[in-house]
Amino acid sequence: MIIAFRTVLTRLITHPVFILAAIAALFFGSAFLSGGTVAILGFLMLNILLAQSMNLLTGIAGQISLGHAGFYGMGAYASGILMKTVGLPFVVTVPAAALIGALTGYLLSFPAGRVREFYLAMMTLAFGLIFREVVREWDDLTGGAVGLSGVPSTTLRTLHVFGYTLDGLDYFRVILIVTVIVMWLVHNFIQSRYGRAFYAIHASEVAAGCLGIPRAGTKQLAYTLAAGMAGLAGGLYAHMIGYLGPESFDLARSIAVLVTTVVGGLGSMAGQIMSAVVFTFLPEKLQVFAEYQFIVYGLILAFTLILLPRGLAGLLLLPPRFIKPSSLRHAVAAEVAIRPVETDKDAALVVQGVTMRFGGLTAVDDVSLELHPGRITALIGPNGSGKSTLVNVISGIYTPAAGSVRFFGETITGLPDHRIAASGLLRTFQDPRLVPRFTVRENLLLGAHRRYKSSALAATLGLPSAAREEAQFLGTVEAVTRMAGISDVLDQPLESLPYGYRRLVEVGRALLAEPRAILLDEPAAGLSEAEMTLLARMIRAMKEAGLMVLLIEHHMDFVAELVDDVVVLDSGRVIYHGDIGGMRQSPEVIAAYLGTAETEHA
Amino acid sequence: MEEFLTLLLAGVSVGAVYGLIAIGLNLTFWTTKTMNFGQGSVMMLCAMLTATMIAQGWPQVLSILAALAVIVVLMVFTETYTVRPALKIEGSMGWAVSTLGVGIVLQGFASLWFGSQALAFPDIIFSAIDDVVVFGVHMSLQYLAVLVLALVLVVAFELLVRGTVWGRAMRAVSMDADLASVIGIPVRIIVLGSYIGSGVLAGISGILVAQIGGTVDPAFGFELVIFGFVAAVLGGMGSTTGALAGGLVAGVLQQMVGGYISSAAQHGMAFALLILILVVRPQGLFGQREVVKV
Amino acid sequence: MLTGRRGFLAATGALAATSWARPTLSADSIKIGFTTALTGPFNEFGEGYKRGIELAIEKINKAGGVMGRPVEIAMLLDDQLIPDRSVQNMRRILDNKEIVGLFCPSGSGPTLAVIDMIQADGRPTMNPQAQTPTVIYPGGPGTKPRPNVYTFSIQNDIEANFMAAILAKKYTRIGLLNESTGYGKTGGELVKGGILKINKDAVVTHESYNQKDQDMTSQLVRVQRARSEALMVVGLGADMAVIRKNMVRMNMTLPLYVSAGGFSPPYVEGVGDLALGTKGSQYRKISTVPPAPEVLEFLNAYKAKHGTDRLWGGDPAIPSPSMGGTVAGGYDGMTVLADAWKRAGTTDAAAVIKAMDATKGLIGVNCTYEFTPDKHHAVEVGDLTTYEYTKVDGRLTLVQANL
Repeated sequence: MIIAFRTVLTRLITHPVFILAAIAALFFGSAFLSGGTVAILGFLMLNILLAQSMNLLTGIAGQISLGHAGFYGMGAYASGILMKTVGLPFVVTVPAAALIGALTGYLLSFPAGRVREFYLAMMTLAFGLIFREVVREWDDLTGGAVGLSGVPSTTLRTLHVFGYTLDGLDYFRVILIVTVIVMWLVHNFIQSRYGRAFYAIHASEVAAGCLGIPRAGTKQLAYTLAAGMAGLAGGLYAHMIGYLGPESFDLARSIAVLVTTVVGGLGSMAGQIMSAVVFTFLPEKLQVFAEYQFIVYGLILAFTLILLPRGLAGLLLLPPRFIKPSSLRHAVAAEVAIRPVETDKDAALVVQGVTMRFGGLTAVDDVSLELHPGRITALIGPNGSGKSTLVNVISGIYTPAAGSVRFFGETITGLPDHRIAASGLLRTFQDPRLVPRFTVRENLLLGAHRRYKSSALAATLGLPSAAREEAQFLGTVEAVTRMAGISDVLDQPLESLPYGYRRLVEVGRALLAEPRAILLDEPAAGLSEAEMTLLARMIRAMKEAGLMVLLIEHHMDFVAELVDDVVVLDSGRVIYHGDIGGMRQSPEVIAAYLGTAETEHA
Repeated sequence: MEEFLTLLLAGVSVGAVYGLIAIGLNLTFWTTKTMNFGQGSVMMLCAMLTATMIAQGWPQVLSILAALAVIVVLMVFTETYTVRPALKIEGSMGWAVSTLGVGIVLQGFASLWFGSQALAFPDIIFSAIDDVVVFGVHMSLQYLAVLVLALVLVVAFELLVRGTVWGRAMRAVSMDADLASVIGIPVRIIVLGSYIGSGVLAGISGILVAQIGGTVDPAFGFELVIFGFVAAVLGGMGSTTGALAGGLVAGVLQQMVGGYISSAAQHGMAFALLILILVVRPQGLFGQREVVKV
Repeated sequence: MLTGRRGFLAATGALAATSWARPTLSADSIKIGFTTALTGPFNEFGEGYKRGIELAIEKINKAGGVMGRPVEIAMLLDDQLIPDRSVQNMRRILDNKEIVGLFCPSGSGPTLAVIDMIQADGRPTMNPQAQTPTVIYPGGPGTKPRPNVYTFSIQNDIEANFMAAILAKKYTRIGLLNESTGYGKTGGELVKGGILKINKDAVVTHESYNQKDQDMTSQLVRVQRARSEALMVVGLGADMAVIRKNMVRMNMTLPLYVSAGGFSPPYVEGVGDLALGTKGSQYRKISTVPPAPEVLEFLNAYKAKHGTDRLWGGDPAIPSPSMGGTVAGGYDGMTVLADAWKRAGTTDAAAVIKAMDATKGLIGVNCTYEFTPDKHHAVEVGDLTTYEYTKVDGRLTLVQANL
């Protein structure tokens, strides 16, 4: 019942006809409203822009901003000062405001790769406060505490664009159009690989890194875009009123934006609109609200994320999706699930003398092994023998204390994980790092991230080239799921599926990245018999396509049928390297942990 | 010279309080990797309750203890209903938002209950006039008292952590909560205890700062928490000596900049310092780079 | 699936809501409207002048109203001294064409935010509290005023000149501290300018502080370093307490002067007897003993309705002079406006403004009002006097001191 309601409502408000009708109603209907109401609607548009900007940053990319009013203020003062003092025209100052906001966000997020998220949160808080201080002190530029009056605005009919004087109604229409355009662009962005990358960083940073999504760079992009949007809103704000004072950009403002976004529902664009409507009109209409505002806002912040984590959008609408419906319609099923790997004389993964220490513990001790195309190598050993650590070193999560790793002739030791992933060396995790809220399709598509060639601009503008590329990868997704035998659950959110499916999805996702080598960390753990068969089929297909495969496993039966050779670790050292038959006879291995008739539990 | 010493004493005194706040923040960061973003309101509430009760005629010590008792209850509530549930959901930063929310609710309530005007804060130990003359320099006993008290608390805290069983248990929880619970350490109690401890330290800090300033109002404490955070980051998140050192450095630097460069620069300085440290040396002066197991 | 446009519903909602916001009023009344800080940390100012207006309206209506019609506050909105809200509120008020008289918000910030709008609108507007001169004289004091705005507050430049004269007469090295708000900064600049104009060799050490700062040591150190003979502070009472305590801790014994805003209740509440000897300027008339008849009438009316409360001050017999700013500004503003309506015989904006500009010899609580087309302020240096905190009957009170 509820799902039906949500489906109907979602289909209604996303239907192009509805959207155009609403925009037209606002555009033309505003002529019949009083000046005060038009002004409130103008503020509504600005609040929507602010909420969308924070939604992009916090809801999608998962970065908290507690000083958003600072970006808003940067844009407002920038446009105000550029127009009043320097005399630049509207069409220059407002985009300049957006750029200055973006630059601020970019600079502020510099420590993004190196510190925990809550340091950045504190930094944004501090930034909001510094901004206010600087504005107050720097009188000559900003008017200081008294504020900047006389900014060309519609109130006094001093705002001219191309010789035409804008009044309140004109300006509202300008803001409306700008808001609509910005939202369309953001919508395209979110339903492209960039939006998916943002959300992946939010859901699991480490997994995102291994897919070739640069962590720090993505976070910085999120801050830059969000701050740019807030700056744009600020620039538009400056010319609505004609007066700018530091009190308009204080902590209370940042809190108000945060509350709007949280109530709307983190991650949902539609939710932000609903929430902005509520929080623009509520203080207007409920004067008594002012006195209790702090308490109400505080309670909302304290409990909404716990009680209603997806806000209004979670209540009323279907969860937002990250793939354009039009791309889905144009997807053509690919013929081949795994692209064959080209081999040359350097085609190998050579691990030489790698040693890894954690404090006083030597986890990996002088380990060497080689992987070759079309061969499946198993890496086995008791728990704690260093298998996962070795894989972490190879895939770039750790830098070894000694030794080297070469891939296709290039030394990759010590490179960051996303760069190693980008060069075609992929790995899976013991604990599948997927995005729970994404559907199977979206999760798989994430794997292809590094293979995309179209730019962010193309994606944001919705250009045909970007759409074609998306459709092409969607086709590969369908092929991979057919091979993995999970086509029936393509559009279900991952969190609703049983564990075995997640494993298969994770392996499938790695394949979307067109790897040349793949390291599988205990992929069969927790799978049913049927699922193991599917997995084995996938691994054999990898071998046929010429991939180098490293398989960490405890499940000896599973391993025995698949692998070409085996490396055995114990306490960080290699104690055997050769075929599986020889392993069963090797005295060192038997001494280490294999009883002759025993099999390790899965 | 007298001027330099005056600035130094003020800086060290205020800085010691920043250090206290920082230790409180560290405490919860240690055990749960979370921090109360509404800590400023905790400071404010404690100071306001104390001031109100003393104004009603209650004895000073009793008022302080009663105020602290309220804080304890508040922290238990905060941890149980806003931090723990938020941690269960989707990792990321929900707890920051929810603790901030609690802080704001408190500020709102305080405005309604106590009125939004500044409340006078009585002299507890010494009054502003009391001073002592050292090498011909007048040193305010109020500042000295604050400094001494803050230092005593820091030392006591360090002793607690290093010397007692509970202290060791806390360190265990800070390194690996799951393992700690498996070996029988009551993790719930330690976590709750860390929140309570953090609140008590904040409350005492609030009273000490209110002593110096002379008034409290509902917005009091908010900027102080930022300074406390600066101190914590400067010293290295998670280190007690670091927190105190960071606080002293921040406090003295502020006063020196204000005294010798310009009072306008003084305010922005702390914030600029924070951003600088996070960019240049995120682990602070005494902290260690974090290693996360994958 | 991700986006939605609820604009249509929003527009309908807005239309419905706008009609909901207008309360039903008697068709015959003369309507005024204003937005101010009714709640929030600065509500004593908004609540204060609102009371002044209400008391004046009661007096006017009891005497038969204006031209036989009662006066009524048709729109009273709360902005908590937040400029954005003042703007939104004022726009709503301006949309209501039935309103014929306006009052400015409390505080220079919100007033500056709406003043251009008000000027463009043209309806007669009374400014009861904001002290920044550009509210009335956009080009600065001495230039042409906004045609439709009149002030009943002590303008910063008037107060500054008054204080500067006193300080420059007695001292050559003066410390000057101001809060970093609009009120503080313009006040500080003006006092400094005023002192230097009288004595160009005076040494003025000018520092600023943020409201709610807990420690002013560095600012005070610099004042001390310059061997200042006196300290003048432009700020509000709560911060005065912090400054005073700081001074005592540093053993600074120089004479302390404050601006009018510094005499508010939190100062004495915060420092008790340490306030003894603090001097400053405030309205003269309202606290003069014995009170003039029009002042007595106002005070009795206030006492009857609100008692001797926090705005009144600690001494039940004599009101704190700050009431001149918090309450009487509204009272006098309403009185003068009603008088202009009477003289114009209409509420038509142009005619009322002409009548306002001809106001002469109109006796109010704070001073005697005279406006001309070139002068839209009334409180002059002669309407101020200095006060000093003194012990009277064991209680700390503000006593008029002639310096």
